[in-house]
Amino acid sequence: MTQALVAIEGLKVAFSTDHGPVTAVEDVSFSIAPGETVCVVGESGSGKSVTSLSLMRLVEFGGGRIVDGRLRFRRGDGSAIDVTTADAATMRSLRGNEIGMIFQEPMTSLNPVFTIERQLTDGLRVHRGLRGAPARARALELLREVRIPEPERRLKQYPHELSGGMRQRVVIAMAMACAPRLLIADEPTTALDVTIQAEILGLIDRLKRDNGMAVLFITHDMAVVAQMADRVVVMYRGRVVEEGPVAEIFERPREDYTKALLAAVPRLGAMRGKPAPEPMPLLGAEAEAAPPRMTERGRRLLEVSHLVTRFPVKSGPLRLTRAHVHAVEDVSFGLDVGETLALVGESGCGKSTTGRSILRLVEPQSGTIGLDGWDIRSLGPVDLRRARRDMQMVFQDPFASLNPYRRLRDQVAEPLVNFGLARGSALDDRVAELFRRVELPADFGSRYPHELSGGQRQRVAIARALATDPKLIIADEAVSALDVSVRAQILNLMMRLQAEFGLSFLFISHDMAVVERVSHRIGVMYLGRIVEIGTRAQIFEDPRHPYTRALLAAVPIADPRQRRLHDDTVFRPLPSPVHPVGHVPAPSTYDEVEPGHLVLALD
Amino acid sequence: MSFLINRLLSTLLTLFLVSLITFAITNLLPGDVAMMIMGTQANPEALEGLRQSLGLHDPMLVQYGHWIGGVLTGDWGTSLIFKAPIGDLLAQKIRASALIVVLSMGIALAAAVPLGVWAAVHRDRWQDSAASTASLLGVSLPDFFWGIMLILLFARTLGWLPSSGFADPAIDFPLALRHAFLPALALGLGLMAHLTRMTRSTMVGILNQEFIRVARAKGLSERTVIWRYGLANALGPVMTIAGLQIGYLFGSIIVVETLFNFTGMGWLTYQALLNRDLPLIQASVFVIAAVVMLTNLVVDLLYVLVDPRIRLE
Repeated sequence: MTQALVAIEGLKVAFSTDHGPVTAVEDVSFSIAPGETVCVVGESGSGKSVTSLSLMRLVEFGGGRIVDGRLRFRRGDGSAIDVTTADAATMRSLRGNEIGMIFQEPMTSLNPVFTIERQLTDGLRVHRGLRGAPARARALELLREVRIPEPERRLKQYPHELSGGMRQRVVIAMAMACAPRLLIADEPTTALDVTIQAEILGLIDRLKRDNGMAVLFITHDMAVVAQMADRVVVMYRGRVVEEGPVAEIFERPREDYTKALLAAVPRLGAMRGKPAPEPMPLLGAEAEAAPPRMTERGRRLLEVSHLVTRFPVKSGPLRLTRAHVHAVEDVSFGLDVGETLALVGESGCGKSTTGRSILRLVEPQSGTIGLDGWDIRSLGPVDLRRARRDMQMVFQDPFASLNPYRRLRDQVAEPLVNFGLARGSALDDRVAELFRRVELPADFGSRYPHELSGGQRQRVAIARALATDPKLIIADEAVSALDVSVRAQILNLMMRLQAEFGLSFLFISHDMAVVERVSHRIGVMYLGRIVEIGTRAQIFEDPRHPYTRALLAAVPIADPRQRRLHDDTVFRPLPSPVHPVGHVPAPSTYDEVEPGHLVLALD
Repeated sequence: MSFLINRLLSTLLTLFLVSLITFAITNLLPGDVAMMIMGTQANPEALEGLRQSLGLHDPMLVQYGHWIGGVLTGDWGTSLIFKAPIGDLLAQKIRASALIVVLSMGIALAAAVPLGVWAAVHRDRWQDSAASTASLLGVSLPDFFWGIMLILLFARTLGWLPSSGFADPAIDFPLALRHAFLPALALGLGLMAHLTRMTRSTMVGILNQEFIRVARAKGLSERTVIWRYGLANALGPVMTIAGLQIGYLFGSIIVVETLFNFTGMGWLTYQALLNRDLPLIQASVFVIAAVVMLTNLVVDLLYVLVDPRIRLE
C-alpha cells in the first residue's frame, strides 16, 4: 500500500443535526494507485459523495466532521500527509493543486458574475503565482485541452453564455489547471444529456491517460462505471460493501447488494429479440412473468396528428412577440389501448411539451388530439375537465408534485372528490384500494410526503393518477429521479398495472435503456419533431435516422467488456428552435421503411 | 443597450404618470383652491383674482400643460407661504436632505454588508443570532426613537454634535455635514437593520451554491471565497433592496427632520401640506417621486455592471 496515491483507512464522518450527530460514512477503507480510475458507486445516501468531499476536507463546510480514520495522500514531492490532521494552509495548497474536483451541476458550478478567464486563472494565481499574460496563456491552453471551440472568445465570456456541456468542460479545465495528481469527479455527467455525457466521459478518460492522473469517479450509474473504472468500490448506507477490479464486480459479484444493484440496471440490448416489454429481474423477488398481451390491443386510444406547440419570445418595452420557440413541430403518432409508446430525446427536444400539449396543460397552436372519441383540442372548459378523467400525468419529481401540507390519503382522494366519483365510506374504500394497487400499506394514507422515500412518493403520485380510472397515463420522466433499485420496482409496478387494467402509457424519457425495457413502440424526438418512430425492435435493432443512431451509440453500456469511450472532439451544436414570427417550417414527411417504421424525410 | 432604452422609457412613462397624479391633487381635493388659500373670509374679488392668476378657469388639460411646461422649463411657480420661487426653495432643501439620505444609506450599507456577511458565514451559531437579534431590534424601533436616543447621547451628554439646525451644503459643507450627521444616523440605524437581514439571507443562499464549493476546491482562501466569490453575487440583490429603500427614506425624513428641526425637504413638504400651499405640494411630491425613481434607475443600471446576465434582457 505504500505506493498508493491515496489510502483511506477506517474513515468515519458525522454530521451534526438538530437531533444530534448522524454518521454519514463509517469504516470506509480503500486506496487509489497513481494513474488509476476508481469508481465509487452507490445509491443516494450511500455516502459516496461524503467520502469524496472528505478527501479534500470539504465536508467541514457542510457541517460534517471527520470523526475517525486516516486519509493519507502522497504529495508530488514524495512526502505523505494525513488529510484528516493537516492544517488549513496545507489543505489549501492541496486543493485545486494536487487534487482537482469536478461536480455534478455544470449550470451552478461556475460563478455567474465572473468571466471564464478569471475563474480559470485564479487557481493558477494562488498555486503557481501566475498572473497576467502567462496565466492567460495557460488558461487558453487548458481550454484547448478540453477541446472547447474558439477558446480565445470563451475567455471573455460569462458562464451563462455557454451550453451545459461546454460549462462542464470549463469546470474540468479549472480542475486540471494545476495538473493535479488526483481528479475527483462527483457525478460529473448525471445532469448532462447522453450524447454530451459520452463526450465528457471520453474527455476525462483522455485527460487521465495523457496526464497519468488518478481519477476518483463517483456515480450512481453502473453503465458509467462499466465504461470508466479500473476498480470499483460499492457503497451502501455509509459503508463499503464490496471492492474489486471492474470485470470481477460485473461478472462475479460476491455481495447480495452488488448483485441486486447490477440486476436492477437495464442494459441496452438486453431486450433484443423479445416481442413485448418484460419486468426487470429483481433480486430476492421471484421473477415476474411477462404481462399477458392485452385482449384489446389494436384498438386506437390516442391519435395525435400534426401537433404544433410554440411559445412566444417577447421583447422590447411593449413586450411584443418577436419570435417563437418551436417546441413541438408537426408531431403525429398513435397509441393503442394497453400499449406503451415512449418518446425519447435529449433536453429541449419537445418530448415533455408534447405530453403537456395532449393534456392541454399548454395550449397547442394547431393539430388534432383524439382520445377515445374526444376531440381534445375543440373541448370547452367543462368537457376538457371531463376528458382529463381519462388522461392523467405522473411527473418527474414526486416531492414537488405532492402538496407538502396535506395527508397523502387526501391527495389520492382529491381527484375522486373533484370529479364527484365517490364519497363517504366508498371514498375511503377506493383510496385504500388505490394504495393497495401501488403496493403501499394503507396506513401510509395518514402520512405527509416528507415522511416517505422517493420511490414511495412516486407510488403515491401513481395512485393519485390512477384514482379516476384513466385510460391514458402520461409519465414524464417518472422514474428519472429514482435510484436504480427503486426505479426497477416502479417500472415493474407500471407494467403490472398496464397488464391488469389495460392502461396505455405515453412514457417520456431520456433514458434509452429504460425505454427499451418498457416500450412497445418508440418515437425519437429531436428539435420538436419525431425523427423516427417504430416498434422497439425496429428502433433498437434497425435504427435508420442518423440522430437515432447517434443517440444509441452514445448510451454507455453496463458491461466492462463492451467499452466504447468516444472521441470527445465531436461537437454538434444544437440548432436553435427559436424562429422569427412568420417563419413557416416545412411539414414533417416520413418514409415508411417497414410497416409501422417511419423515418423523417427532412434533413 | 435595449435594456437601457427599455428602462429609460419606462422611467419616463412613470414620471409622466406621477406628474398627472400630483397635478390631479389640486383638482381632486375637495373645496375651492382659491378659498383654501385665502380663507373663507376673503372677499370675492380677491378670490376671483387669485383664480385668474392660478388659471383655475382654464380647461384641465390647459392647466396641466401650463404646469408641466413650467416644470420642464424650470419655472415651478411661487410658493404661497414662503412667497418665494419654488425652484430655488427646492434646490436648497433637496441638497440638504440628499446629504442626509446619502449619508444614512452610506452608514447603513457600510455596516450592514459586513455584518450580514458575517452572520451568514456563522449561520446558525451565536454570531448569527446576535446579528439577527440586533437587527430585529433595529427594525422594530421607529426612527424617532433612535433620533431621541442620539440627541441624548451625542448632543446632550457628549456635546459632540448639534441637536438641531440646518445648513446649506452648497454654502458651508462641513457645517451641513455636522447638522446632517445625527438625522442620518437615526435614519440609517433602522435601514441598516433591514439591510443586514437582507444581506444575510442573500449570502446564505449564495454560500450554499455549488460554485462556492468549487471555489474552495480550487484552494482559494476563505477570504477570497466569501468576500469575492460570494459577495460579488450578493451585491446585485442588496443594491436593489437599498434602492427601494430610498423611497422609504424620503418618507421617514419628514419625521426625523422635524425631530432635529432640520429645515430640509421633509420639513418643507410638511409645511406645504400643513398650510395647503398647493403649488409647493405639487412640486415637492413630484420632485421626491422623481428622485426615488431616478435612484432606482441608477441602481438598475449599476446592476448591469454587477451581474453580466442582465445584459441579455
